[in-house]
Amino acid sequence: MSAISASTTETAIIYEGRWRRRFYPIIMHGVMLTAVFLVTFPLIYTLILSTQGTGLGSLRPGTAIVENYSDAWSRAQMDMLIRNTLIVALAVALGKIVLSIMGAYALIYFRVRGGMILLAVVMLTHLLPLPVRIVPTYDLLTDLGWVDTFKGLTIPFFASATGLLLFQQFFRTVPTDLADAARVDGAGPFRFLVSILIPVSRTNIGALFLIEFIYMWNQYLWPLIVANSARTRQVQIGIKQLVATDAVIEWGILTAGAITVIIPPLIVLLVLQRSLMSGLSASTEDF
Amino acid sequence: MNTVFPNRILPYLLLAPSIILVLVFFIYPAAQSVELSLYRVNRVRDVQVYVGLENFERLFHSDSYINSLTVSAKFTVAVVVAALTISLALAVGASLPIRGFGVYRTLLIWTYALSPAIAGVIWALLTDPAIGVLTDLLKAIGVNFNWRQSPNDALIFLVMAATWKILGYDILFFLAGLKNIPHDVLEAAALDGANSWTRFWRMVLPLLRPTLLFLLIMNTLYASFETFGLIDITTQGGPGRATNLLIYELYQDGFKSSSRIGLASAQSLVLLAIVATLTFIQYRFISRRTFYQ
Amino acid sequence: MSNKSRRILFTLLSLTLLIAMALPGLATAQDPTQITFWHAMSGSRGEVVQAIVDSFNEANPDVNLVAEFTGSYAETLTKALTAYSAGEAPNIVQVYEVGTRTMLDSGAIVPVMEVSGGELDQSQFVEPILNYYAIDDELRCMPFNSSTAMLYYNKDMFEAAGLDPEVPPATFSELYEMGQQIIESGVAPNVISFGWPAWILEQMYAMHDQLLANEDNGRSGLATETYWNSEFGVQVLTEWQKWAQDGILFYGGREYSANDPFIAGEFAMLVQSTSSLGGIQRAVEFDLGTAFLPTLDGYERNGNNVVGGGCLWTMAGKQDAEYDAVWRFFQHLSSVEQDIFWHKGTGYFPASNAAVEALEAEGWFEENPNFRTAFDQILAGNDTIAARGVLLGDFVIIRDVVGAAIEDAVVNGVDPQQALDVATEESNQILEDYASLIE
Repeated sequence: MSAISASTTETAIIYEGRWRRRFYPIIMHGVMLTAVFLVTFPLIYTLILSTQGTGLGSLRPGTAIVENYSDAWSRAQMDMLIRNTLIVALAVALGKIVLSIMGAYALIYFRVRGGMILLAVVMLTHLLPLPVRIVPTYDLLTDLGWVDTFKGLTIPFFASATGLLLFQQFFRTVPTDLADAARVDGAGPFRFLVSILIPVSRTNIGALFLIEFIYMWNQYLWPLIVANSARTRQVQIGIKQLVATDAVIEWGILTAGAITVIIPPLIVLLVLQRSLMSGLSASTEDF
Repeated sequence: MNTVFPNRILPYLLLAPSIILVLVFFIYPAAQSVELSLYRVNRVRDVQVYVGLENFERLFHSDSYINSLTVSAKFTVAVVVAALTISLALAVGASLPIRGFGVYRTLLIWTYALSPAIAGVIWALLTDPAIGVLTDLLKAIGVNFNWRQSPNDALIFLVMAATWKILGYDILFFLAGLKNIPHDVLEAAALDGANSWTRFWRMVLPLLRPTLLFLLIMNTLYASFETFGLIDITTQGGPGRATNLLIYELYQDGFKSSSRIGLASAQSLVLLAIVATLTFIQYRFISRRTFYQ
Repeated sequence: MSNKSRRILFTLLSLTLLIAMALPGLATAQDPTQITFWHAMSGSRGEVVQAIVDSFNEANPDVNLVAEFTGSYAETLTKALTAYSAGEAPNIVQVYEVGTRTMLDSGAIVPVMEVSGGELDQSQFVEPILNYYAIDDELRCMPFNSSTAMLYYNKDMFEAAGLDPEVPPATFSELYEMGQQIIESGVAPNVISFGWPAWILEQMYAMHDQLLANEDNGRSGLATETYWNSEFGVQVLTEWQKWAQDGILFYGGREYSANDPFIAGEFAMLVQSTSSLGGIQRAVEFDLGTAFLPTLDGYERNGNNVVGGGCLWTMAGKQDAEYDAVWRFFQHLSSVEQDIFWHKGTGYFPASNAAVEALEAEGWFEENPNFRTAFDQILAGNDTIAARGVLLGDFVIIRDVVGAAIEDAVVNGVDPQQALDVATEESNQILEDYASLIE
């Protein structure tokens, strides 16, 4: 503060300070509200459209809300899509959490010869996102007989460098006293993991769950080629199928479908937002 | 690292599933890509012919592939720059210690829950020639915007939709990074204007550097790959080849044709090289700056 | 019950169970035969398909046919073939005309004649449809949803522009002149749009009796050379480019996306698949007219509009009982009753001559002149090699290549000759790759 005030007179600062204290927050609220409006408007417009039967494109909500949502629901077989996608998103999120905790636990609390090399191997996955190996991975699925199955939609996603690092990072910050005390008490590695380490990792587990759930819910390319039948079809592909294979785009139904599909990840985001914030603020450094 | 437990085999058992999955679904297919890229393959008929480096030669002599490279570069840079700038500004704004600002932290991150495909549906709606509210708005100020008719508009359209969708994610991570910044720095910035803004950036940027690096990498990957759904549901690479990103080209050759799987594998390897180089550069660039500060 | 009888009962029960487990064939003999059908019909068309499937299942309790919408035509084709390599193929798959060559060469199909055990009477089908899908005079797949392209126009706009609403343009030059009048009169800022532009270009070739590829359009052998950049092709695209530059042509995307703005009255004419008729007719609030596709000046209509749409292919590697069920479904599908139901519900051609006669007899075409247009158009042409349509390997991506070339010329202002040269070169490369793995 002193550096700033050096060039101005004392009274001016007091006056300016007061002025700022009073109006600055109001102006900033105005700025932020505008930003929120701009970011949210596309969704609001979509929401309005999803209520319109005729007179599409006006800003006034229509009366076709029930028809649109129920048509979208039945035409896209929404119940099946949501069930299928929930299976995939939950399986991958939980699978990744379990595998990452196991891996990080091994690396931090045990002596692992070549641990750094193993970690490096897992890190390599960062350089190999699915698109760069999609053709042979699909061929592999064919050989395994996993095309059009939930196995094929989930298992290739199970390995997680992000998760392993997240937990490894976090386990390092857990006081060693905890583990020592546990050992003195006669707790084995399993009991220590389950009754101490996992409970203190709650926020990180929440954070990873959020990231992976949303990631899988929004998968598009892999389900497009792997899920052939309605039995395994995922929500995003269901939306694609509402778009344009017919003579006329029915915007009311399409937007209703889109809104329906947004809801589950939005709920997860709102519920776990805090976990993610605190889980991440310490540990993005080594990602 | 403290070794707490003396077990010898247990840690390997714990690590085994991850390692096996990485070997089977990452390393093996990547190696397969190398092999496939040397062949011409018909997947259905199960026929393959060795062609050496022909697939690579062909890629770099193909105008349409060079075009895909250029378009991808333009698109990715535009999305990454726009997304990081806007989201950093909004995240800093939402972090100001002003009463009632907590609510913005929630209201600004929700686009994270959207998929690129749904962002495509929403922006196609906004810019629809018949019922799009944005189309009308632009028409009112004399701009005729139509992404089916203009290659430029198509690219702008995709950049807008892709940037909008990733804002929530970026803001969320910036907010997490900003939590570590001392309150008085933010307070000073909030109350004292221009001079302390400079001070603010000087203090904040180094603190945000890890977040920035992380987001730079993630946004690059997002713009290059995750936007597939957005393109597939809207422009499908057109008009002409104006929005035919590398990933879209790869999908066309790898899955829509029956005889270009080898060519698609060669494209995979080019992508791998690009991803590796970019990650390396970004990492080097940012961490060196961190050192000197 | 005594101990002894209890033991006997138990033994008997166990024996029955053992036999039941050892002979699953016997135990499940009463279960219906499961067959699957993948198609690309969504929305209102999907509902009509489902209705046909439901009526089949009802009439055939020993069969359970499951129909599934599997995405666009291109996706459905891709999925069926990759699923075949994975051993997960459906019994029946609907493939658009573009996939014909790929299906033939895939080794993954059983020709419909074989499926029917020689019972299929080819002469039941309307000739142009038969001509497209018969290779060496034999049908390979079951014709299902056939269509061509025609001209749709907004009679109200014609009237408002001072044009005779009963006289649509018959040639490119008439279309251009009428278009200028529509623009000048301020009725609409644009005049015409296309659905499936690359297919419309193919229509132009067939209609004007121009070959598109060597080996008799790929019908006497694997085509290895395409003629997109022939004088004729360049001339058509040059006209289109001129229309676009003068604001007459509104480019509306690669499939059906031009329908919406046409329905909303953004322009006066639309060249689109005849199969959109049902949807468009239901949605428009103006007086809708339909007409034959206009011809290019200087060329005669010596060929015919080529058939597009889908055909039902039977996948290989299934049980006899399943093929029997497939054949029964094909028979059901091509019955006069179902054929008429399909035609009225969607706008696709009735596939059989008998259905056409029945429709004539009940006066359907008189009451619905727009449905008549499509039919008259396809019967008005000549059966020539070019008119039968081109067969190309990996046509799916060739069509994308040509679609991109058209957009380059029409939207991006690339010289038509240059755009088509590139398309030809790329198409030929694709065909060469394709052929190198077939022979």
